[in-house]
Amino acid sequence: MRTITFDIDRFDGSRSWTQSYSFEHDPAHTVLSCLIAIKEKQDPTLNFTASCRSAICGSCAVRVNGNAVLACDTKLDSVLKQWGSDRLQISPLGNFTVLSDLVVDWSPKIERLRTARTGLKARKEFTAETGCQQTPAEFARIQKQWDCILCGCCASECNKLTDDRRDFLEPFVYTHANRYAQDSRSAEPMLHVREMLGRGLWKCLHCMECVTKCPKQIAPAADISAMRALAYANGVTDGKGPRHAAAFRTDLENTGRLNEVRLVPRTEGLIDAATGRMSFTFRMLKSGKLSTREATKLYFVDNSPIEGLDGLRKIIRYRRAK
Amino acid sequence: MNRKYAFFPGCVLDGAAHEARMATEAVAGRIGVELVEIPGWSCCGASQTQDVDPEAALAANARNLALAEKMGLDVLTACSTCALMLRTARQTLMNGRMADVNEALATADLEYKGTAEVSHILWLLADTIQDWAPMVKTPLSKLQVASFYGCHTVRPPKVMGYENHLAPHSMEAIITACGAKPVLIPDRLKCCGFHAVFPAEQTAHRLTASAADNARKNGADCLLTPCPLCHMQLDMYQPDAREDTGKGGETPVLHLTQLVGLALGIEHEKLGLSKHIVSTDALLAKC
Repeated sequence: MRTITFDIDRFDGSRSWTQSYSFEHDPAHTVLSCLIAIKEKQDPTLNFTASCRSAICGSCAVRVNGNAVLACDTKLDSVLKQWGSDRLQISPLGNFTVLSDLVVDWSPKIERLRTARTGLKARKEFTAETGCQQTPAEFARIQKQWDCILCGCCASECNKLTDDRRDFLEPFVYTHANRYAQDSRSAEPMLHVREMLGRGLWKCLHCMECVTKCPKQIAPAADISAMRALAYANGVTDGKGPRHAAAFRTDLENTGRLNEVRLVPRTEGLIDAATGRMSFTFRMLKSGKLSTREATKLYFVDNSPIEGLDGLRKIIRYRRAK
Repeated sequence: MNRKYAFFPGCVLDGAAHEARMATEAVAGRIGVELVEIPGWSCCGASQTQDVDPEAALAANARNLALAEKMGLDVLTACSTCALMLRTARQTLMNGRMADVNEALATADLEYKGTAEVSHILWLLADTIQDWAPMVKTPLSKLQVASFYGCHTVRPPKVMGYENHLAPHSMEAIITACGAKPVLIPDRLKCCGFHAVFPAEQTAHRLTASAADNARKNGADCLLTPCPLCHMQLDMYQPDAREDTGKGGETPVLHLTQLVGLALGIEHEKLGLSKHIVSTDALLAKC
């Protein structure tokens, strides 16, 4: 008999411990059906949430060996193969407050979701009589975001949230904000973006954990990027984040290559860069990563233009015009 | 080994991480991989340009791919973010954007058909261990090395997809082939913070300090990364991270190709080992 063991992180409100449960391997099992079998046959005190068992309700997300999965949508065999072991650690989602065993507290997360101002404020031409129609192409721009089932997987291993959740939101919040910001029927797309700008929109680390973990193949990092671009196009160009990103675009069109020496003053402003980055600059020069001559050339002259720069400019401008 | 690639160095290999270019070219030359630099390659956007101008980012990378395809070669890069940007662009083109982006490329007499693929030096080295391991002249048996994969080396797996993104082993296989001992640290698959070092500086510093500190606490002589941007963050900003967090001690950081170069017996000067912020002297004394 092949035996599978789940080491489950338990919590009873005051005490934490890990409890092991072993059971016979069954290729038909999902992670959720294993948890249900444990609760029914071995330990009725084990707490977890689950409802639809069809990857629709989003309530059964847990971590397997530290990585979030939707338990009902994850075949046991797939995780056994992935980890090359018949023993798995089952934990509650990361970056959530644990209430009991694998049950996490969604109340504060829903409050944070409210900051995205979810809900469509329709454009004036729409009426109750004519409706709020949009073309298939317009719907396609927000279709993926509508798939979000609020399971929390995207937030569990987000590196920024793990470090500090005071100045960043759960990735699904940005996805929901972008869902309304990109909706062709919206009277005020920037309403949602503005709220996110003040809540960490430019602080995403690009760690790609959210994109990797979403069981619905939504890309919250792309939603963050799309809202940044929308904000920039609407004139919100100040701040370290937008200035930093814009510097790359400027260099792309100026010479085709990044000018590393101008990047910091462009991002932080000349005075802040000169005062705050002095020791950094000194160590770059001392290590030979940068020579004084090279730095002077880059700052006052720029990189030499790449071969075919005119072609690159034509391609970019053609795409933009489209 | 006899392989040839269209080489995409990326901006940092021509700038602050020039030593990574030196090491990449030295190792490639030693193991029989010919790197032909793509003429007129442009910045990939570095996971930044798309935030202000997504069409410019896509167009620039479509052009990079078209230039490589014109050479009749697959692309090889030594930067994980460059690899992610190029592979993302390729995936976008292959999934319905080919025709309209080719309209733009036509304005510069270019076309991308989708034949040129994009690979990473890590993947090449991992796939060819059996070819270059016999060339190891200086087994690094006294070195303990903590791998730091870098987010964009493995994530998102639908774009990168070389190996199991949750439990990769390519770095450890290469470390072992070099004769060194792999050390697993909790930060192995974490973010270094580089892409948000300006808007989220404190977070970036804490992540950097954690990786450096955990490597040292676990007995590693150095961190090893296949991404020059992770290297810049972990090495160049390590003094700032140390100062901000109070986590003491210095941890040298090597580029993947520097470690392989050391094992292959390539001279230290050719690997740019003196061009680091955190000194590699103590580490080199063990080689």
